[in-house]
Amino acid sequence: MTAKTIIVLLGFLAAFSLFAYRVYIRFRHMRLGQPAGPFDRWGARLGSVLEFVAAQARLFRYPGTGLAHFFIFWGFVLLFPTILQAILEGLVPGLVLPVVATFGPVVLLQDLIALTVILGVLYGLYYRLIVRPERYKGSHQFEGNLVLVFIFTIMVTLLCSNGIRQNLGAARVAAGWQPVSALLGKPFAGLSPHAQEIVEQVCWWVHLGVVLVFLTLLPLGKHFHVVTSIFNVLLRNLEPPGRLAPPVRVDGSEGAGRVEHFTWRQMLDWYSCSECGRCQDVCPAYNSGAPLSPKLLIMGLRAHLLERGNALLAQNGQAATQKAVLDKRLTGDVLPDDVLWACTTCYACDQECPLFVEHVQPIVDMRRYLLTQQRGDQQLTAALESLRRYGNSFGKSDKQRAKWTTGLDFNVKDVRKQPAKTLWFVGDYASYSPALTEVTQATARVFQRAGLDFGVLYDAERNAGNDVRRAGEEGLFELLAQKNAAALAKCQFEEIVTTDPHSYNTLKNEYPAGLGAAGVSPAIYHYSEVLDRAIQSGQLTLRRKLDYTVTYHDPCYLGRYNGVYEAPRRVLAALGCRIIEMPRNRDRALCCGAGGGRIWMDEGKVKERPSENRVREAAGLPGVDCFVVACPKDLTMYRDAVKTAGLEERLIVKDLAELVEEACAGGPQPCGANALPVDTQAGSPCHT
Amino acid sequence: MNIVVLIKFVPDLVEDLEIDASTSLLDRSFLRLIPNELDEHALEEAILLKERLGGTVTAITVDFGDVDETLFTAVAKGTDRVVKITGEDFSQGVSNEKLAAIFQGVLADLPCDLILTGTQAVDDLDGFVGALLAERLGLPYVGYVTKIDVQDGKLVARKEYPGGLNADIEISGPAVLGIQAAEKPPRYVVTSKVMEAMKKASIDEQEAGEASVEAELPVQRMSLPETGARAEMIEGSAADVAAALLKLFRERGVLA
Repeated sequence: MTAKTIIVLLGFLAAFSLFAYRVYIRFRHMRLGQPAGPFDRWGARLGSVLEFVAAQARLFRYPGTGLAHFFIFWGFVLLFPTILQAILEGLVPGLVLPVVATFGPVVLLQDLIALTVILGVLYGLYYRLIVRPERYKGSHQFEGNLVLVFIFTIMVTLLCSNGIRQNLGAARVAAGWQPVSALLGKPFAGLSPHAQEIVEQVCWWVHLGVVLVFLTLLPLGKHFHVVTSIFNVLLRNLEPPGRLAPPVRVDGSEGAGRVEHFTWRQMLDWYSCSECGRCQDVCPAYNSGAPLSPKLLIMGLRAHLLERGNALLAQNGQAATQKAVLDKRLTGDVLPDDVLWACTTCYACDQECPLFVEHVQPIVDMRRYLLTQQRGDQQLTAALESLRRYGNSFGKSDKQRAKWTTGLDFNVKDVRKQPAKTLWFVGDYASYSPALTEVTQATARVFQRAGLDFGVLYDAERNAGNDVRRAGEEGLFELLAQKNAAALAKCQFEEIVTTDPHSYNTLKNEYPAGLGAAGVSPAIYHYSEVLDRAIQSGQLTLRRKLDYTVTYHDPCYLGRYNGVYEAPRRVLAALGCRIIEMPRNRDRALCCGAGGGRIWMDEGKVKERPSENRVREAAGLPGVDCFVVACPKDLTMYRDAVKTAGLEERLIVKDLAELVEEACAGGPQPCGANALPVDTQAGSPCHT
Repeated sequence: MNIVVLIKFVPDLVEDLEIDASTSLLDRSFLRLIPNELDEHALEEAILLKERLGGTVTAITVDFGDVDETLFTAVAKGTDRVVKITGEDFSQGVSNEKLAAIFQGVLADLPCDLILTGTQAVDDLDGFVGALLAERLGLPYVGYVTKIDVQDGKLVARKEYPGGLNADIEISGPAVLGIQAAEKPPRYVVTSKVMEAMKKASIDEQEAGEASVEAELPVQRMSLPETGARAEMIEGSAADVAAALLKLFRERGVLA
């Protein structure tokens, strides 16, 4: 056994043991968590791995770094045999792996992919060091750069070593199969064979050394995702995004008050965070200057799991240090309360994460705990108190819920007394907000015009509970859901239509199946879908073409959560409106800031409200003077925002139903949806 | 310290109030009753005191109707014992005099260091219950209390006076305090804890004893605010307005 063999063997064993030990520590910490699973639908899970690990689908939402990462990932996969070859060579001199080290086309692929890895790494360094995007703020940037330098070194030493072997005629394939290596070998061709051998050996040792050091560092930080990502994607949450998991209840506590109150599956998420900051980049709270960064939240959880895990599992040692760690409160010390309350639950972070790390669920888990400790803000708890007593956040009598119907010139069916095809779940804002009464009435009139056989629950309707749940009040959500379900069970209807996308989400995804009278599950629609259907089927006659240029804002709980993007756009197109999209549209739409119970909470200190940022985005679109929304909370938020942003003269906020009613009304002669005359009197629409 | 909190239920003002045919009472047929807000502050203050000083909190109310949820919520907040006084139909409301007598009966078997109640209730704004009860029990009474503290082993109640004045009043021995506001707004307990209290805790039901009342203040007539004659707007030029005003002043005898 040569000295080289011994050094390689010892180095390899040391590195691998350290790596294994560090993985084991993290695995033990994960086992402190609560149970998760069972995991089923393995076909879909394997499909996810193909789509999101192999094809890296979500990474391409940021095309530049996505492509760079794609090459680095595939380089890692395809060049793994070359690393193995290098290690084996050191252990068993003269050993050559078949095919992967000898078959020309495979070697060519390795040679080329190494080049793309180098390009990817250089782009990564350029992006991190020169472009310096905001999203890396707070990440371990030194580690990120160091690892890029590692990968660069691993690639260059590999290619140089190969190139010199070509020079010396010691290669296992013809030079034509290794064009990049050959190119890198050229500068050394002038040296003596002995000198070249020395350079080659240096390359080989550096290559192997960096590989082994990198291996030991993997579990320590963001690069652990190299190991965990496959498992994280394989075991990802396959439930609809709009369905939160119920709280973990441990030792009489509800929600997550300790890091070990999370499930081990959630902990795997944290290990998989690569600190890329895409979540932070799209977070409305972060961008408004609120204290929340979803990335720092996950990093904070990971760091706390490590320290607390160590302290919990320690057999002996520094009791004082352990006590300090064990006394640290998860909510309050590790993550201050205002961080947790800042989330609007808009789902932008979860959707953006390339590795399906969940942020909203752990935030809600911790909010649940905060509420049990009476640490909710004054306005929020006042709203919850009203919701518990009256079933609405306005603190008004349930008898006034349908008061808005008194302004109509027809009667709205009481679906508790008369069967109706469509049960309209009106929601709190549309029912109670005095500012929205006219819009709710307009919606009713349009339904009536479309010949929709609809009715409402009158005072039996309660807040659906979507945001109650996301504020962390699970028991109240259950209570509201039970009351609504009991009211619905007594009514005859076939489908439910909601005004509010938040009600839509929870009715569709979180209510028990079989909400109808006979225990039949009704179809659940948003009113934009019902309007779309009425127009496309010709049931709703449009009399006037609206020659407006508008932009449309996607509500989080309609778009991102439930994928309804086209129905409202089809309605606008049918009305004759030209839609100019905001730069952030569809699944990238910016949240108005009201979700997850935020609408009930104290606003806190912000640089710029998300809603104001959003209307400024719209105001930047030439020709657009109408901002169309399809959510009562949006209407409230944006009507306010155009005022506070000083854009009242520039933009008018309209509900989709208002525009539909406008297109139904008046006009010289009735005509079908397919033959709309342009109303030349229309002018600038929204300001008339 | 053992504290008793007295809770009265009052009509919920979010509902439209109507006067019944007798014209001396609210029509209670569709009325929603809720715990009096200041009584909830009294409960909060009691629980804050218990958290600071130890002891127990007992909440007592009369069976006005749906009072159980309020009592279980009180348990979830940290109340040790909840008592519901039954035995009569109280759903038509109880006069303050009678209420004080009923509470006196229950308190006879319930020794305590402090009795807290809201300083007044929205249904009459009289603020009598605490004072009448103190009189019956022969205890001191302080109303409009916004803070209770212990200084040198003695209780000090901060009483709020009009005009931004406060007085710290030292109390020795048991007393009845009318709470104007707790030091913190009444806490919100999550629904799951209320549900848990419903499962685990039990309400101590006690029959109201003979409540002798010497004098009550019967309401003779209750009415909605009556609108008087409407204001008259004087319009026109300054000279016209001045002329009209002069004419009016003379008519009403302000000017000769």
